[in-house]
Amino acid sequence: MTARTEAEEALEDNAARKRATVRRYLRHPSFMIGAIGIGLLLLVALFAPWISPHSPTRTDLMNTLSQPSATYWLGTDQFGRCVLSRLIHGAQVSLQVGFFVVLISLSAGTLLGAVAGYAGGFVERALVAIIDILLAFPSFLLALALVAARGNTLDSIIIAVAIAYTPRVAAVMRSVVLTIRPRPFIEASRAIGLSTWTIIIRHVIPNALPPVIVVATVSAATAILAEAGLSFLGLGVQPPTPTWGNVIAEGQTAITTNPLISLSAGLCIAFTVIVLNLLGDGLRDTLDPQMRRNTGKLL
Amino acid sequence: MIRYLARCAAQFAVALVGIVTVAFFLMRAIPGDPALYMLGDFATAEALATLRARLGLDLPVWQQYGVFLLRAAQGDMGVSVVTGQSALAEIWAAVPPSATLAVAGMMIAICFGVPLGIIAAVRQGSAVDLAVMLLALGGISFPVFWLGLVAILTLSHALGIFPALGATSEPGFWKGLHHLALPALVLGLSVAAYIARLTRSAMLEILGQDFIRVARAMGVPERRIVWHLAFRNALIPVLAVIGVTFAWSLGNAILVEAVFSRPGLGSTILKAILSRDYQLVQAGVLVLAAAVVLLNTALDLIYGAIDPRLRRT
Repeated sequence: MTARTEAEEALEDNAARKRATVRRYLRHPSFMIGAIGIGLLLLVALFAPWISPHSPTRTDLMNTLSQPSATYWLGTDQFGRCVLSRLIHGAQVSLQVGFFVVLISLSAGTLLGAVAGYAGGFVERALVAIIDILLAFPSFLLALALVAARGNTLDSIIIAVAIAYTPRVAAVMRSVVLTIRPRPFIEASRAIGLSTWTIIIRHVIPNALPPVIVVATVSAATAILAEAGLSFLGLGVQPPTPTWGNVIAEGQTAITTNPLISLSAGLCIAFTVIVLNLLGDGLRDTLDPQMRRNTGKLL
Repeated sequence: MIRYLARCAAQFAVALVGIVTVAFFLMRAIPGDPALYMLGDFATAEALATLRARLGLDLPVWQQYGVFLLRAAQGDMGVSVVTGQSALAEIWAAVPPSATLAVAGMMIAICFGVPLGIIAAVRQGSAVDLAVMLLALGGISFPVFWLGLVAILTLSHALGIFPALGATSEPGFWKGLHHLALPALVLGLSVAAYIARLTRSAMLEILGQDFIRVARAMGVPERRIVWHLAFRNALIPVLAVIGVTFAWSLGNAILVEAVFSRPGLGSTILKAILSRDYQLVQAGVLVLAAAVVLLNTALDLIYGAIDPRLRRT
């Protein structure tokens, strides 16, 4: 009987800890604002075809560069396309870029960094050298050159930006793994005869993930900025497909008469980047015990 | 100290070979035949073969790499496929306006970012801290080219203080400075936001350490604690931040140059990318990456000068 009660107690403890964790997230203003903001953006992107008042590519040549009205809430661009509808559909491109860049750079960077940090010796030195060299290239420039190499479809933009940001994730991952490697449970895993790969995948990576997840959230924000920059330079997803970056670029020609076109697109980008940064801050405070004393403060 | 200098120089050399290698293979990944591009669709097979041979494109890749490395060591980055000029010379011609913009932007960024970060850290949790951090969050969240457009709209179009064009052909230092002001301000403030955030966290970390508490207990004046004890110890992380943001600001400078139609490396590289002029793109990417490596090496030397412990390790 005693054994069962102990097991039950352990279970209850566990449940209580989980509740405490959930509460910690819910009480964290940055985390909540970030999570709600991202949730809203996801809804907008998912339901874009249903909530946008017009088609983002339909031209109304009788109403080019019109000011905001009941029909066109944010006015129209030089082709008479509804700016609001273009912004709503633009969310799809930005969020896809953010999501897939994080997915790719997180997986590749985590693996590279974990191997570099855990392996030591020649493998580590070689990988660190490669990571350092890649970090010397301004990442936006690297993405620019890669997009030029692979063409400007959405896929190649995502791959280019992901390659540019992977070394950052790898560098963070390695530094975390270096602190995990000497810990007793790793030695224990080795002692019971687990293979190196099993140790890396089952024990090293899960324990090193929290700081890396924070970096990933923030790099989703930088990826979205990079995509907007590429679009602005005309190297991103090509018009007429709307992206926030190309809406700003197209609005640039009418900046003095219809400033709302470029301004509203910039606000969309900034909103996304801010909520992602708040989410990252919230995750850092709740995931990283050392930072926990700051919990509860916005920014 | 001499050993420290030698190690920095060796690291610099290794990093240079590394970036040359990465740039080479990166550019080879670009699809399309540069020879075909230069001569147009109606070129004869003979003419194409001759040009490929002249550009060394008929050799196996590893041999091309060897030749490339050897030439790069002599400062020869090939010729621009479009203009036929030396690629490095063309890039060098674009360096002065870009360097001016980058230096002016970094100076503005440091002058705003470092003091604001320190003030926010010293007054942690106050209204000043909140205001600085909100501004900094805005600075890193708005795309730099959008900030540029807003600056044109307000400071140039509405108020007429600065010209919207980022450069002028008219001679004169003050004229040039007048045109440089807006791009430098936009670039500088976007970088300042980063520097302020990171300076704040570096200062907070130092201010939370035991020796600061001891100094306070001993009655050392607060101003002396902040500037003499905390800031001097936060100097290395702050310098590291400046090094990191420099690479990032070079990327932003490309966008700022585009917004203000300012000549420089950004527009040169962009034009080269659009015309598949890979020799020129390669040279441009290399020059920028080398600038980053050079700055990091310089910072390593400064770290050594600031903190004697680093020289020995």
